[in-house]
Amino acid sequence: MNRIVVAILPLLLCCCDRLPETYPPPEQRQPQALTPDPYAMMVEMNDPDAAQHIVKDIYEPFGSPWRWTAKQPTVKVLVDATDNVKMSADFAIWDDGFKQTGPLELSYFVNGRLLDKLKYATPGYKHFEKAVPAGWLAADAESTISVDVDKLYVSPQDGKKFGLILTRIGFLR
Amino acid sequence: MHAALTVLAILFGWLFTVATAWALGTLLLRRFSLVFYRWEERLFAFLVGAALLSAIVFVLCAAHLAWKALFLVLGLAIIGYALRSGAHRPRGEAFPSLPQLWRWVFLIVFGAFTILYFVNALEPESSPDGMSYHLGVVAKYQRTHGFPRITTDIYASLSEGIEMLFLWAFEYGRHSAAALVHFAFFIALTFLILSYAQRIGRPAAGVAAAIFFYASPVVGLDGSVAYIDVGITAVLFALFYLLQIWDQERNAKLLIPIGILAGFSYAVKYTAFLAVPYTLGFIAWKLWRARKPVLRPVLTVSMLALAFILPWMAKSWIEVANPFSPFANRVFPNPYVHISFEDTYRKYMRVYGLTSYWQIPWQVTVRGDLTTGLIGPLFLLSPLALLALRFREGRQLLLAGLIFGLPYVTNVGTRFLIPAVPFVSLSLALGLSGVEWLLLVLVAAHAISCWPNVVQRYCSPAAWRLVKVSPKAALRIQPHDAYLKGNLGYDLAQMMETYVPMDAKVFAFTQPGAAYTSRQVLVGYEGAFNEVLQDILWTPMFRDFQPTRSLTFQFPPREFRKLRVVETASVPAEAQWSVSELRVFDSGRELPRDPEWRLTAHPNPWDVQLAFDNSAVTRWRSWQPPEPGMYLEIDFARNQKLDSVVVESSGDTSATKIELDGLSSDGKWTTIAAAPTESLRPSRMSLRQSATAEFKARGIRYLLITDDNIGANDFRSYSKLWGLKTVAEQGVARLYYIE
Repeated sequence: MNRIVVAILPLLLCCCDRLPETYPPPEQRQPQALTPDPYAMMVEMNDPDAAQHIVKDIYEPFGSPWRWTAKQPTVKVLVDATDNVKMSADFAIWDDGFKQTGPLELSYFVNGRLLDKLKYATPGYKHFEKAVPAGWLAADAESTISVDVDKLYVSPQDGKKFGLILTRIGFLR
Repeated sequence: MHAALTVLAILFGWLFTVATAWALGTLLLRRFSLVFYRWEERLFAFLVGAALLSAIVFVLCAAHLAWKALFLVLGLAIIGYALRSGAHRPRGEAFPSLPQLWRWVFLIVFGAFTILYFVNALEPESSPDGMSYHLGVVAKYQRTHGFPRITTDIYASLSEGIEMLFLWAFEYGRHSAAALVHFAFFIALTFLILSYAQRIGRPAAGVAAAIFFYASPVVGLDGSVAYIDVGITAVLFALFYLLQIWDQERNAKLLIPIGILAGFSYAVKYTAFLAVPYTLGFIAWKLWRARKPVLRPVLTVSMLALAFILPWMAKSWIEVANPFSPFANRVFPNPYVHISFEDTYRKYMRVYGLTSYWQIPWQVTVRGDLTTGLIGPLFLLSPLALLALRFREGRQLLLAGLIFGLPYVTNVGTRFLIPAVPFVSLSLALGLSGVEWLLLVLVAAHAISCWPNVVQRYCSPAAWRLVKVSPKAALRIQPHDAYLKGNLGYDLAQMMETYVPMDAKVFAFTQPGAAYTSRQVLVGYEGAFNEVLQDILWTPMFRDFQPTRSLTFQFPPREFRKLRVVETASVPAEAQWSVSELRVFDSGRELPRDPEWRLTAHPNPWDVQLAFDNSAVTRWRSWQPPEPGMYLEIDFARNQKLDSVVVESSGDTSATKIELDGLSSDGKWTTIAAAPTESLRPSRMSLRQSATAEFKARGIRYLLITDDNIGANDFRSYSKLWGLKTVAEQGVARLYYIE
């Protein structure tokens, strides 16, 4: 019996190659052809440089990928082209806040011009997307994008006012 | 004609497997002159023989000799030898007949459910796990006539004791033959419950318990598809049963089948490992109390159990460097399964979709949506099983049920309760056996409440259950393809079969029906390599994954032999540390990466090159929560002058802290800089093409995406930016080719 065990053990050990733990530098990747990111004109609320794009009415995040807004969240982005540009926003209307405010009316502005006005009769996740007339934008110049919230949720604890839960806003191509 | 031949092949594959297992088992029991009641002998023979046949198939797979013809010759030889030895002639006595009333109750209820389950098992296999991995791996073994080395599929590393039997059947009757093999375990277990009750003189309780178990919705569905939960339950119950007989008779030869079944339990399913300590503890305790020698019997059982356990450990150890893969990755770190995967998996399995553990009783008995299946409202009465504590047999049943039910705390899916259900069923029936009319009422109520048309009236519509069966599909009057069309897993598999070349690899986020395709699929979460691919694919879509943080260490020029970037902070469990690129500079000039350098990392040294490949879409990740002391290291192989180091990292690592250490020519490690200066460098260029270039570099040219996958819209909207061409589109699925 012992002899069998002794015979089997080295066989088992031979089967198990030790995995290497050090490596030489690998083949170096060459940069691919650079094309602008279609989301390059979008401001993600968890972007490391989001603060540079925020003009007003967007609160600091709570370690979350989204931020609370106030009455008229506004951002600025550098426009790299003016054709086929759509304004886009992803946000949520908070269920508990909705109980206080009821349906909300949101007005979407690009460079101060009203792009659209929509009524939201339910809370939850919302997506807005609408083409922006090319004439409203100037290439290689900053444009402002804002959303006006008609009614704000007022916190019963401290009276602080909240509009939307914003995840991203900007232009899409 | 073709349909009839298909059905015949299925039935042959099934019966040939069961007959071979039974013949092997009978030969073993006869060899050791073990005598049981007739039914017991047949049932134990099948289960012990299943363990032996499984081990034989394992050996054949390990030797790459898993050929249909060899199975046929071997099987016929075993069956022929058993018949020649008179194994088909029972030796033991028959049990006394069941009381007439209870015999009819059993025949009617068992008969009705058996028709239902048999048709379900005979239908083309469409169960989620059956068609994805239980038979997915079997199909791979069948194609390669053995175990190919699979490092990109966690499921291929689990113990596969019953899958070995599936393979034997699959060779002849494909998927449905395998499902029927599982069904054979289901039937065997139902009769084992009945037999045990007859042995202890409680036939009415036996009939009631057998029906409580057999009619249970989750048990019925699981037991009639190519799963293994009912199979392992049969093995565990047989083990319990044999231990009880051994306790009565103290026949040392009984320890042979006991040891085999204890080991086979682990070979079938990791979570059944408790069978081994339970068995050894039971034997040791009983012998110690009787003041008999303990060591030899315990050693005999241990050795036999190990003979069935060790091959599976060795397989995993050899293939993926971890005998317990895909678990225990902290103890056996390896490049094939990430610790973060294991952590996430365990965390999810402990809660599923539950918001409170108080939901469990209602979920597992009545609703069945959040925990995937229901055992039936009858089991709300499970506390009454404690009434069985007044009997010795009841105490033994409850103890075994408790032990075999323990793994449920690690996975709250209803299926994971199945190993405890026969014990609870029998205890409940035993506890109420004094009130026979009540037992009858409960049997009737349970049978009616578990019939599919009735179940749908109270369970959640999303509950995993048997909805209906199709005799036309079972008999292949409705062709297999027409029946399965519309099943997402099958449709994905067919898409690959049609459009993907034989040797091409496909990346997918969603598990396809791997049992229906011969193409190699890399599913995002099913292995470390796949998770890296997933990370690469997500990086262009999530800015938090992109190397937007530049962490610079600047210091007076010095020479170093080695350099380490060390993580110094304890960070919440969900986070990870990652480094996209690590660059070293001298006088403002980046040093080109020298082939003489040796790179390493702790943990996860195997991915260290991803931090030195000059790609913005790849990164070395810790794949476990960051801890102080983790590091990336460059060994320059000589003294190297440096004055700055830049660590490019992503936004999702912002909670980590790093310092720079160096090994100077005097052989001492010193801290060069305790903290870097950070600058942000958001990328405004698309990284999509870089990501798909990485896929090409790894030999992967196809992406299989469904609408619910993260990024599905991005692939569709920006396919040109990704460099993707749509090859096929069907329902919610798209197959892309990376150009």
